[in-house]
Amino acid sequence: MYLKHLSLTNFRSLTRLDVEFPRRNAPQKAGGVVVLVGSNAQGKTSVLEAIYFLAAFTSFQTHVDRQMVNFHEAKNPLAVTRLAADYQRGRSKHHLEARLILEPTGVNGQRLRKEILLDGVKRHISDVIGHFNAVIFVPQMSQIVEGGPDERRRYLNLALAQAVPSYARVLSEYNQALSQRNALLKALNEKGVGLNMSKGTGGQLEVWDDALARLGSQIILWRIEAVQQIERLASRVHHELTRGTEVLRLAYEPAYDPTKPEIQLGLKLDTVIDRSSFELDEIQSGFLEKLKKVRNEEIARGVTTIGPHRDELRFIVNKVDLGAYGSRGQMRTTLLALKLAEVEWMKERTGEWPVILLDEVMAELDLQRRADLLKYVGESEQVLLTTTDLNLFTPEFVQHAEIWKVQAGVVNKSM
Amino acid sequence: MLLPESIQSLITALERLPGIGPKSASRLAFYLLRASEDVAQDLSVALANLKANTAFCQECFNITEAGRERCEVCESPKRDGAVVCVVEEALDVLALERTGGYQGKYHVLQGVLSPIEGIGPDDLKIKELVARVANGEIKEVILATNPSMEGDATALYLQTQLKQYGVHVTRLARGLPMGGDLEYADQNTLLRALSGRQEMS
Ligand SMILES: Nc1ncnc2c1ncn2[C@@H]1O[C@H](COP(=O)(O)OP(=O)(O)OP(=O)(O)O)[C@@H](O)[C@H]1O
Ligand SMILES: [Mg+2]
Ligand SMILES: [Zn+2]
Repeated sequence: MYLKHLSLTNFRSLTRLDVEFPRRNAPQKAGGVVVLVGSNAQGKTSVLEAIYFLAAFTSFQTHVDRQMVNFHEAKNPLAVTRLAADYQRGRSKHHLEARLILEPTGVNGQRLRKEILLDGVKRHISDVIGHFNAVIFVPQMSQIVEGGPDERRRYLNLALAQAVPSYARVLSEYNQALSQRNALLKALNEKGVGLNMSKGTGGQLEVWDDALARLGSQIILWRIEAVQQIERLASRVHHELTRGTEVLRLAYEPAYDPTKPEIQLGLKLDTVIDRSSFELDEIQSGFLEKLKKVRNEEIARGVTTIGPHRDELRFIVNKVDLGAYGSRGQMRTTLLALKLAEVEWMKERTGEWPVILLDEVMAELDLQRRADLLKYVGESEQVLLTTTDLNLFTPEFVQHAEIWKVQAGVVNKSM
Repeated sequence: MLLPESIQSLITALERLPGIGPKSASRLAFYLLRASEDVAQDLSVALANLKANTAFCQECFNITEAGRERCEVCESPKRDGAVVCVVEEALDVLALERTGGYQGKYHVLQGVLSPIEGIGPDDLKIKELVARVANGEIKEVILATNPSMEGDATALYLQTQLKQYGVHVTRLARGLPMGGDLEYADQNTLLRALSGRQEMS
């Protein structure tokens, strides 16, 4: 898939942007590469952020959507940021539009509303995610390895939501059931039900257990499958990047683990468990049973302690956990392998190349890795890179790419 | 500039209504301020009468005129007392009545289970439903709560509560989209959902 046109209004410092994108010329196996070049703080990253937003409906830089609204515009009582793209997916053309609307509430407040329109029709985010796909490479992605488990869940969720139909909807329903269940656990705790089980939960908890297990087991199943597929691709790329010296494994560790405890205990630490044979029913009934077992503890704590919202993903290189013991270089190589695998995985699952966004990644790679990266992404349909320095690229590469200058929020193609 | 107290308090009162944000609340308040005396007068009389002249049916908790013990549906000899359709709100009764395809009676829960909002079984007309079923006349209970997370949870809860009475419990079929409200469903969809109701095992 590829972008044909992007139009931004009041997106960060890009108050007004309208650009046509080149696409890869299939017979010549060339083109479709754009390099955004400019000094610091000119708006290069913002262009990529906007494109990624149309794929994930969230920023890779911030959790606070209103930060993307141009701050001069945000001073108005009613402020609107608009992102619109024309893209081609397979044989069909689509128009995708996102609006971030800051509107006044109460006396002095402002509230942000997101509106998403696909081909002119207002739709729910979870129904539109996956229509336009992009994969982003940024220096801060080392957080996936180094940061807390929530960074890794976020990574998984954003990748799966784009490639697995219904994943976003089921995840959002799971979170809704989780909030309801947590509220009930807290209420039961306050009533002292945990201390005195004879009072009973009145059958209410069972209802939310049921919803949690039904939705949660589906998420676990999708994650088992996806991590296994991504691992297969990532370890192959990693093997090539390290010239065969290192073996990468991805260990998905679901907080509710369908694997029998006897089996888990019998295994050595850092062994990756194969869960591919589990069926949905089996995971669901096991999850439900486990919820019953931990019920007293959960009421005492007033919170749901098991389920996909507590899952973990670990990166293991040559049997060593990268998060704890990895060197910088190992992490960088692993992330590169992971991201390249994500691109290939998305292509396998959806039949379409995602648009590839590379923000400032060349600077932190050595010459060999730069060449490796460009070789891999060169296969795809459309690649956008940012840099402050064109000398990081070989002259041949620069010659075959479109070079766009970014200065003070304005993109200039005339180069 | 501060708004006069009387306007501000109307805006605040309107804002508390579901589906009305601060903007529409101000718009409505200023509309009423500008509109002719009658508009405001009619509205205030209607509001005052709303509570004074309506009551809840003592059998099914649908709305009815004040002074009446039971609603029109419950009073009607033509309705089949062996079938009860359980809905969230009185508006859902209206929607189902409009189809003309249902001959049984109703039970209005007056909400759904939602721990986040602090709504538990005791805040809904659930005990009353169980009592009606325990009486023995009812043979089938159709659970017609909305196809939302909370509507489904409430249906499941009711099913477990009714199990011991050996009554036939069914759930409205998913002709309705998830997250859709009964109230807004078109009649064909509703009729299809009614006729395709499913056994809850
Ligand atoms: N909401 C906003 N409204 C207006 N300007 C913003 C907003 N958010 C960020 N900016 C400005 O945008 C610029 C940053 O843009 P961006 O991060 O895209 O730059 P860049 O070209 O990628 O720079 P670098 O090379 O340093 O990474 C900064 O000058 C920043 O002050
Ligand atoms: Mg940047
Ligand atoms: Zn009645």
